[in-house]
Amino acid sequence: MPETGNSMIAAYIVVAVIVIGYAFTLWRRSR
Amino acid sequence: MSIDVASAERTIRRGKAITLAAMVGLAGLYLLALRYTPTERFEGLVQKVYYVHPPGAYAMQIAFGVVGVVSVLYLWLRDERLDLVAEASAEVGLVFGAMTLVTGPIWGQPTWGTWWTWDARLTFTLIEVLVFAGYFALRSAMQDSHERARYSAVLGVMALLLVPFNHLTVYLFNTTHPKPITLQTNKPQLPDEMLRTFLVGFGVFTVLYLGFVITRYGIGLRRAAMEADHA
Repeated sequence: MPETGNSMIAAYIVVAVIVIGYAFTLWRRSR
Repeated sequence: MSIDVASAERTIRRGKAITLAAMVGLAGLYLLALRYTPTERFEGLVQKVYYVHPPGAYAMQIAFGVVGVVSVLYLWLRDERLDLVAEASAEVGLVFGAMTLVTGPIWGQPTWGTWWTWDARLTFTLIEVLVFAGYFALRSAMQDSHERARYSAVLGVMALLLVPFNHLTVYLFNTTHPKPITLQTNKPQLPDEMLRTFLVGFGVFTVLYLGFVITRYGIGLRRAAMEADHA
């Protein structure tokens, strides 16, 4: 089985950063 | 049509609550994917990108599809709220589009040996995102709100054609990008644990889309109500 764990972690971090980042942006704009 | 600040505030609160629930759902999806879903034999752990990349792309398609549909309705009914829904959905679509365009190459590099290829699916996804980036360039160029709504609705309707076409690219062209395995007419070729996590991913991203778009719509609604009060 190839060692591709780093790519998976990178993708999951990217998704989390985009979701949290946009949620935070909306929260700031809604104040 | 009358828009009041209080109802906009209620919409924002509702959107925030749904977004929060979706973020908890995303954490649950990660847990499910990492802890309870088996690792694929040939690709290794990077196959688990599958639980976020197609759901993100699907949310983008839903978002851009909604822009097109509400744009048609705007041109028919001329209700300003429909323009605000289109604006909200286009912005959220760009967020999911960025997610798709980043997670795809992260999976592609170890699997295909390249970050990017000008294959029909990848190219059309990029074009779709660029068209909706242009949608905001068009909106920001218009001062008059009615004119802005009308012109952007026309673009939204035209861009609606890209949504089904992008979905069909993997069938119409000889692409490197895989075809959707779960949409095959015979039984899905996935173990049940993988299929379950994949479907949870779609559920989480649907709720996330709703949370984002309702919050963003509420923000637009409040801005419109304040502008109407000052006019």
